[in-house]
Amino acid sequence: MTKTVGITALIPPELIYACHWQPFDVNNIVPTSHTSPRSKLCAWTAVWRDMILDGGMYLDSLVVVAGGDCHNALVDGQKVAMSGKPTHYFFYPFDRDPEYMESQLLHLTEFLGGIKETGMFKQVWDLKQKGKALDRLRVEDRVRASDVFSALISFSDLQGDPVAFEKCLDNILRTNVEYSSRVALIGVPPIYPDFHEVAESLGLHIVYDELPYEFIRLGGGDLRSIARSYRDYSFSGPIETRIKVIKRELDKRNVDGVIHYTQFACHHTLEDEIFREYLDYPILTVQGDLPRPTPEQIVLRLEAFSEMLEVST
Amino acid sequence: MIGLDVGSTTAKIVLLHEGNVTKSKVVPSHRWQELVDADIDEMQIISTGYFRKKVPHRDAITEITAAIFGVKYHFPETQMIVDIGGQDTKVIDLRNNSFLINDKCSAGTGAFLELAAHYFDIPVASLGELHNRVREGAQINNTCGVFAISEMISQLVKGYTMEEVVHGIHQAFARRISQMIPPTEKVTMIGGTVLNTGILDAMNSILNSKIKVPPEPQLINALGAALYGEQKVLK
Ligand code: SF4
Repeated sequence: MTKTVGITALIPPELIYACHWQPFDVNNIVPTSHTSPRSKLCAWTAVWRDMILDGGMYLDSLVVVAGGDCHNALVDGQKVAMSGKPTHYFFYPFDRDPEYMESQLLHLTEFLGGIKETGMFKQVWDLKQKGKALDRLRVEDRVRASDVFSALISFSDLQGDPVAFEKCLDNILRTNVEYSSRVALIGVPPIYPDFHEVAESLGLHIVYDELPYEFIRLGGGDLRSIARSYRDYSFSGPIETRIKVIKRELDKRNVDGVIHYTQFACHHTLEDEIFREYLDYPILTVQGDLPRPTPEQIVLRLEAFSEMLEVST
Repeated sequence: MIGLDVGSTTAKIVLLHEGNVTKSKVVPSHRWQELVDADIDEMQIISTGYFRKKVPHRDAITEITAAIFGVKYHFPETQMIVDIGGQDTKVIDLRNNSFLINDKCSAGTGAFLELAAHYFDIPVASLGELHNRVREGAQINNTCGVFAISEMISQLVKGYTMEEVVHGIHQAFARRISQMIPPTEKVTMIGGTVLNTGILDAMNSILNSKIKVPPEPQLINALGAALYGEQKVLK
């Protein structure tokens, strides 16, 4: 039976499949979990840590992205490692060095027993084209943002089964989306499972999800080109690059405002004032903490933001 | 048009006829029904406040939008609205349509002043008068509600009077709110808490500006809801 490797942030899923492992993005079950972490900074890492330690999430091994897009996962990852789970640490190069990125990918494949077949590279690449097409459809108001978000966020592990996932993508409902304003969602994804639906119900059409969009944009046909593509994963690098990518997308997607989701005790929260300085759009910052349905205080902020955008346009 | 603002502590109603207030009333939130008597038509009500969706209404808007409409009625040139509520404080920057809400911590909200008044066993309404009896307050450094109360007690132990401590509490309260306000000159404060002249005095001294307060600041959101109705819903 194929073994499952947990991943704590983005690493190329095509490589994991090529090593004949099944990736499982441990974040994807955090928003609907009922775990109240024993000790925590950020709930995202504390919840998967506790779920792994308590046996609520079974994995054969774990890859912790401990440098790059998340700087908080290291200690929680070590706690898992100390429980006896085979654990590997993965670091993105902040200076974007392609050689370093390649060496990180090589270490990763060694941890997973080496590449068995490269056919997966093309298969995943094809799937990503479908993801991009879906992303375009929502920009054209033909697919609901909540459906696109759930699909795109799954590009980190392709739900453990690329064939079934492809069917899932094909089955997403095409419809005419009605809304009062177009907004972008930047920052880490909200820890609230119904966030996109709530925004939708308040007339906000989320036409850009910063991080999941990166998941589908990155690819490559061999280890070298994968390394070159993933070292450009904007979330793991200097904020100037992120701002450039975000600005280009906001422009292209014709947004009226930006929602910056920040997670309690996440270092990315500190980026809020930089975005406020560099992005010339009405910005709403919301902060979440524990996984649960979107709390009323946050709904109030989204509602007020929607009203403001409507009155001002 | 009727504006009905049912907030966390008080409920207010404003009756508006062609831009003029014809009647208004304030009651505790749990008695909001007293405001909606038989001769009031639900289709005339625009509601706002925490309970906006729980009360009869034709349309419900958030306190943010209501505050903007209400404040502009009195001071169209306002750039910044500071709305101190019972459970939260909102700062609305009209220059770029952004707002901040503090609702995670009681410091800087009406609840904090309630706590201080409760400690001295005096009505909240008398805090302003105590404040004005002294020119300098006892130093209160903490901006967290719980720590500020224990700091207040240690200042009393040191020998500061109740008036000086209240003065210090207002300074700490204003400092906390001022951290939410971007630099600007044209600030308007609303909400029942501004009726406390101590808060206004402390805010003016910290922001070093002349803050405007509309008549009946606690009714502004109800007024704003009614104005929104006249300008946006009836249109
Ligand atoms: S929210 Fe921040 S700290 Fe938490 S897992 Fe994500 S990147 Fe790491």
